[in-house]
Formats: sequence, C-alpha cells, structure tokens
Amino acid sequence: MSALKPKCCDEYSQLSRRNFLRASAATLTAFSLPAWLPRIAFARDRGVSRDVLISIFLRGGADGLTLCVPHGDDDYYNLRPTLNIPRPDSGDPFAAIDLDGFFGLPPALAPLVESYNAGHLAIIHACGSVDETRSHFDAMTFMEVGKARDLSLVTGWLGRHLAIVPPMLPEAVLRAVGIGEGLQRTLVGAPLALPIPDLANFTLNGAPETKNARLDALAAMFAADPSALTNPALYTRDTVALLEQIDFANYKPFGGALYPESDFGYAMKSTAALLKAQVGVEAVGIDVGGWDTHEGQGPRDGYMASLMADLAAALAAFHTDVLGGGVMNVTAVLMSEFGRVGYENGSFGTDHGHGNVMMAMGPNINGGQVICMWPGLAPEQLYQGQDLDITIDYRDVLAEIMEKRLGSQDLGALFPDYTPTFHGVAN
Amino acid sequence: MQRPSIHELRARIPVDPIPHAGPNRLAPAPRSRQAELAALGAPSSPLGHWFGELGMAPDPGANPPAWPWAAGVGQRGDGCPIDVTDAERLLVQRVTFGLTNEELALVSQLGYEGYLEYHLNPEAIDDSEMDRKLRRYPTLQESVRKHYKRAVNGDYSPAEELIFATAWRQAESKRQLYERMVEFWTDHFNIYLFKDGCEYLKPADDRDTIRAYAMDTFPNLLLATARSSAMLTYLDNAGSYVGSPNQNYARELLELHTLGTENYTQFDIEEIARCFTGWTVDYRLLSRDFGTFYFEPSYHDDGGKTVLGYDIPPGGGVTDGQRVLEILSTDPVIAPKTARFVGTKLLRHLWGYEPPQDLIDDVVNAYLSTGGDIKAMIRAALNPDKIGCAAPKLKRPNYLAVSAVRALQASLIAPDYLAYEMYYLGQYPFYWAPPNGYPDSLGYWSGNLLPRWRMGLFFFNEQVGIRFNINDILGAGSADQKIEAINQKLFFGQLPETDRAELLAYLSVDPDDRTRVEETVALALGAPGFQWF
Repeated sequence: MSALKPKCCDEYSQLSRRNFLRASAATLTAFSLPAWLPRIAFARDRGVSRDVLISIFLRGGADGLTLCVPHGDDDYYNLRPTLNIPRPDSGDPFAAIDLDGFFGLPPALAPLVESYNAGHLAIIHACGSVDETRSHFDAMTFMEVGKARDLSLVTGWLGRHLAIVPPMLPEAVLRAVGIGEGLQRTLVGAPLALPIPDLANFTLNGAPETKNARLDALAAMFAADPSALTNPALYTRDTVALLEQIDFANYKPFGGALYPESDFGYAMKSTAALLKAQVGVEAVGIDVGGWDTHEGQGPRDGYMASLMADLAAALAAFHTDVLGGGVMNVTAVLMSEFGRVGYENGSFGTDHGHGNVMMAMGPNINGGQVICMWPGLAPEQLYQGQDLDITIDYRDVLAEIMEKRLGSQDLGALFPDYTPTFHGVAN
Repeated sequence: MQRPSIHELRARIPVDPIPHAGPNRLAPAPRSRQAELAALGAPSSPLGHWFGELGMAPDPGANPPAWPWAAGVGQRGDGCPIDVTDAERLLVQRVTFGLTNEELALVSQLGYEGYLEYHLNPEAIDDSEMDRKLRRYPTLQESVRKHYKRAVNGDYSPAEELIFATAWRQAESKRQLYERMVEFWTDHFNIYLFKDGCEYLKPADDRDTIRAYAMDTFPNLLLATARSSAMLTYLDNAGSYVGSPNQNYARELLELHTLGTENYTQFDIEEIARCFTGWTVDYRLLSRDFGTFYFEPSYHDDGGKTVLGYDIPPGGGVTDGQRVLEILSTDPVIAPKTARFVGTKLLRHLWGYEPPQDLIDDVVNAYLSTGGDIKAMIRAALNPDKIGCAAPKLKRPNYLAVSAVRALQASLIAPDYLAYEMYYLGQYPFYWAPPNGYPDSLGYWSGNLLPRWRMGLFFFNEQVGIRFNINDILGAGSADQKIEAINQKLFFGQLPETDRAELLAYLSVDPDDRTRVEETVALALGAPGFQWF
C-alpha cells in the first residue's frame, strides 16, 4: 500500500472502549470477477462478516404518511382530505398498494413491493427523533450526531462506529464515502472518510504520465502544513489511485437492474460498483433532497410522487443488483429529519411535523413487515395536537442494525445516554 | 420549468476531458516523506457542518493553519501575531475576492482605515468599465414582466446571465466589498434559482433586493426580502391563505434570517404565518406591478395575533407582516437577538470562523446604535485594533476560483467559464437548494479537495474563456527564479516555505519545459498556501 498514508491506523485503538470485534474468517461468497472489476491485490474475498451500511437521508422532512399510508386508519383521511392516497379497495387509479391490511405503499413506490415481498424491506412507522424541534438543520444534526441538543457532540454516530471498530480490510485506504461536496455529519469522525460527488470521475486532470508525481507533490505539501486539510489531502491522493481502477463507466449491474437517470440513481449505481469491487469501503452516505413539500405536495401523481418514483426505482435496482444477487452483505437504511404535519395546509402542502417512517433494506433485515406501535391519528392522539406521534425512537432502529449487522459492541458511544430497545428489525 | 437535474446541468456545461489512465500502481511515496507524516498530528477527517453555520456551536473543523508569514514578525501588544503591514494585507483579503497589485497599492496609499472607508462607499467608486462589460447581459436590466415572458417562451437567459454576471462581478468589479456583501446576503437570504418560478423572479430579486440594500440597513433589507416575489415563491408564502397558512417563510424568517434557533416557540411561528397570509405575488397580467409584491386582502387572516409576546390587534391587514418585521429588526427587546445572530454570521464571513465575544458585542452595539446600519456593522467587524487576531479562513470555491483569476490577471473572454469552474468546485451561484445558503465553514469545504487541485489545469485548458499568460514565469530563468516568479504572481511574496520546497522539487525535473511550468503553476493554485485567506 501507499507509504504516504494518513495517520489513522491507531485511531480506533485509542477510541475503542471494549474489545474489538473478533475478525472472523472470510465469509463473502466467491464469484468470478467481471471485467470492470479492479485487478488489485486486495480485491479478494476476505475480511470480517460485517455488513456495509448505506445510510440514505431524505433531506427536507419527507412525509411519512405518504411514504407508508395508514389506509386502515379513518383519521388519516380526515387529516388529509386532498393529499391522501386512496384506500386499496377504492378502485382509484392512485389507490394504495396494500401491505398488511392496515398500511400500504403509494403507487409511486410500487417498485419496492418486490423487495418487501422478498422479505428484504422493513418499514418502521411512527418512528423518529423525539426532540420537539421543527428546524430542518437542528433536527438533521440531532439525528446525525445521535443525540439531541448536545453541543459537545460534533461527530456522527456512524463516524464514531468506524473510529471504534477495526477496518474490515486492514489495508483499506477508504473506509467511508459521503456522496456530495461535504461529508455528511453522520460520517464525521470516521477515519479514512471522504466526501466524493462523483465516484466515477475522481482523478486529477492533465497528462497521465505526470499525474502520480503531481498527486505526490500535492499530498506532500499538505502533509508538511498540518491543518484540517491534511488528512483529506492524503486520503484524496490514495483514493484517486483506488477508484481509477474501477471502471464505473462500463459497470454492468447484476440481473439486468436498471437504475434511473437521476442523481440518486447514479449515486446508487456507482455505490453498487464500489461495493462489489470490495476495496474496503464500509459505509456510504447518500442524500436525497427535495422533500420539504410545503406547497403542491402532489403525493399521487405530482411533485412528491415523482420524487418517490425515483427513490423507489433506484432502491429496486439496487435490490436486484446487489442484494438480490445474494453476494453482498449490505444493509441500507433510510431516514428523514422529521415527518410532516398531519393536517394539510391551504397550499396543498404540509408543514414541518414530527413522527415519520424509516426503512431498512437488506438480506439480513426482517423484511416484509411494517414494524410499529401505531399511536393513532385521532385529534387527541396527535403530537402537539397536529402530528403523528413517535412510538419508536430512530436510535432503536439504528442501534439494532449497528449491533446485529455492523458488529458494534459499544452502542453507548454511538447513541450516548440512550438505552435502545430492539424491535426485530434485523437478524 | 422542471427542476433540472445535475445531469441536465452537466449536459449544458463544456466537458473537461479526463484522460483515462488505465490500470495504475499505488505509488509509494519517497522515504523522506514518511518521516514527515509520522510526525503529523492532523485531525482525523473532514468535518461536516450544520451547527456552526447557525452560531450554536463552534465549527468542529475549525483548525486553520498558522499564518504563513507569522513566524518571525513582531508580536503585537495584544498577543496577536499580525503586524500593521500584514493587517493591511489581511484587510484586502477580507474586503475583496483576492489580492491584486492594484488593491495592495491602494491600501498602502490610503492606510487601513482609509482603504476600508473607500470600499464602504461603493457608489463613489468608478465601476463604469464593469458596467460597460455587463451590457453583454442585457436581461440584467429587464423588468420581471419581461423575464416572465421569456420563461413562458422557454428562454431562461435571465437566470443564466445572472449566474455569469455574478461570477464576473466578483472577479472584476472595483466595488469589491460591495460584492462580498452581495455574496453574504445572497447566502443569508438564500433563494434557489432552480425552484419553479425563481428562475424568472430571482434575477430581479438580486438587482432590486440584495444589490439594492446590501449596504443599507438590516431592517430595510429584511423588509425588501420579505416583499421579494422570489422569496415569497421560494419559501411558499405566495400561496399561504387564511385558515391553514403555510409556515415555511415564517419559520425560516426566524430561524435563518433573524433570531437563529432560539428565542421563540412553535406558537410564534404559527402566529407569524397568520400575519403574512396575503403577502403574495402580483400575477395580474395588466398590472403595472406584475411579478412584484402584492397584498391580497382576501387571503389574509385579519384576526388578532400574539407574536413574541406582542399583541397584534385585529384588522391590521398588510401591516401585520410589517409589524412582525419591525419587532424582529427594531424592537428594543428582540432586535438585540437578531443583531447577535446576524452580526456573528457577518463576522464569520468577514473576520474569521470563531469571532471572540467582545467583537460580537461590538458589532451588536453598532447595529443597535445605528438602527441596523450595515456599514457600521462592517466597520465594527473590521476594526483595525482587532483584525490582528483573525485566523485564516478556507477559501470557499467561488473565492478560490476568483482569487486565482485575479492573481493570474486573466481576461474573462467568456465569464461563463468562471461560473462553470465554480460549478466543478461545488459552488455554482444560486444553486444551493436548502434555505440556509452555501455553508461558510471549514468543516463543509475541507473534504473535497480534488476539484481545487484540478482548477489550475482547467484554466490552462480553457483559454477560450479565461485568457491569461504566464510569460513572467516562463521567462524567469532557473527553477528557483521561476518559483520566485510564481511566488510574486500568485502569492504576492508570501509563498509558504513548505509549498515552495515541493513546487521547486517538481519543477526542477524539467524547468524549461513549458508543460512542466504550467503544471507547477497548477500545483501552486492547489497548494495549501493558496487555499486560505
């Protein structure tokens, strides 16, 4: 590996409070390498049997009452006289797709039915962060650092996890990626983490024959001038060499999976290629924006429907490509900073609310069910008289996945001052 | 107009070809560097950022380097490491989008305070050359009605010309502090140009709201933004009706524009949303005021309200919203909280990431004693007695690209190329969708360095749009002399020694090869010493 390596390798030993996860023998299924995969030394089946986590954040406060419709609750239709998804038996062209007799998916999320029926998709309802804030930015921060209103906590729950556990691949140069210009707060604190807007175009321009020398010179300048830019510079240098060996442009998804031509579809497709290359990336953060639907929400065939259709198409493609193939230990989790007010406003939209849904997808998720303790939507059951209440803390869901699927033995470090309750999300 | 995806945007942007290098080795670094790295105690990772932006907690990534020139210079009495000459240089960097010989000569001639006053009176600065150049973008002067008509016909040139003009003005306007304030308020009162309607409303907002009041008073600016048809559209107030008002504007008015996240309740937001019902956009085709502010009484909730402890009696009509803005920006109890929130953010923009309490107090007092005069706040923020303690800030992408263009003395043959470079760097003008504006933090921008490293060769490859020459460097003789020419041209004499050593080592391989020299210049633009200001 590169000798010009960031000073990271003792970080997890400093941070770890308990025993390391015992590294078990390689359990990843062997499969023949297709042509686009890198022929690099460590693209082999070894490492520990922890899941890779894809953390997907729906920015803006996605409307959980649309993402998973409580069609069995009459009060839902009282709250949403126009912005509802009709009952499955209504004969309406935009009727919900029934899941369990009480909940259903809006038609725009139809592509998720396959993974739900395959037992790979669980929906957790009346779920979220119990803090009362309705500020996007506070609510996102509270969820991403893993605790509300603690100004001393600046790193993310997933970042701290990666700082505690040893790398799955000891020689990894990149353990976490945030798709975007800036690293998601969720991943802050992770060793060997970089924000990367486009995995497929991560290289230096100019003459190829001098590229490595120029990268070396840049890395050396940043190494000699210690600052907040130093480690990103060193990670960047090593990651250019790493990602160049993956031919993203010619990546062929498994099973004919077709990703949508959108930012999210592109991010999921690139992520799939990255994970299959097995270069030691353990966590990927992806943002999906646009969910702040104060006006003209359009849950049936309007604006939000188009957002959901894209979301579902990309997740379904990822399911076919990565999870359906059965070769990868991957869990994806979706969350949003809050749900939206139960009552619709006068501009055919909804304002900042409280309780919401989360989703978890993966071969090791107890899918095919909506996990919830439904609080009801009658006026007296609403949070502050207006919102879906929260009966499952978002940390319960994340903690269970982190312990059962990512080998966390220190949930207290991930979610300080909180004792999670598991709800059977993962096995 | 559909919200364009990034792919659609990319399709409009010239491709920067990236030669595919094929299989590659993971090159080990020279042995000597391993020792350097072993001694390195740098922080573990780039840090994301939301809190610091709102002034609630220190920016976790705030770890700027020492000033490259700090070593060896005399210490000031207050323990801050910057002497008078360097304070003047720092002032130029804070007031402008990057050093030029012209600005350095000016500060040397006028002195610190004279130079600041010069830039505090932009209307007195002759900018006719910029105005003449901007005639290339005629839609800048057109009415909203005209912009609307263009949009109806599928012509979005007002939005594009606004983007290009913004980049051009940052690079070439003589009114540099004014442009820095336009930048600040554009983020503070962020409007996403690609939201439906904003593509034809924002260009007028930029001209008639942000640019018109950028150095006026905060209360006037706040009122102008509240009445801006682009803001009314972006934060959905245009469609807010009595009975079930839309809370989007009310919330961001408090959280992002005035008070921050403290000092109010959800009840206040609901009441303020009621106050602003009826504040909408005039879409009556025959109206003289088409596309601007319009109060529709039938949308308005005319009942009594209670806002932040103040009773607003029934029947106030359009004055309800005006009263809310007054309370937020001039009330003796509430305005100090607004002044603190906005003042702290202004200091982060102009002074540094972590302004000390006494400096924040100074800016708050300047606000309160002048009725929110923005120039008075700037004067307090850039007080010559307190600038010496300011730590370096990481250049945001737009500042980085513009400072490079300024140092290279480039001619912007096609200013859109500068805007495109901002796009590659991650800060395309008016392209930040959430209402909090592009972050002004080290944490957010410190991770994605690769576009910064690519910028130099992008400029060399795009001479069709951004024309400059490096004849002074090419003609400088030995490798040492060429590096010194780079020092003078790009770093104005203050190239950090650690950068110099690496640049010299790189150039020395073939100091007379033109490509090598260009690569070295590009490395210099990507070097640590060029990332901070």
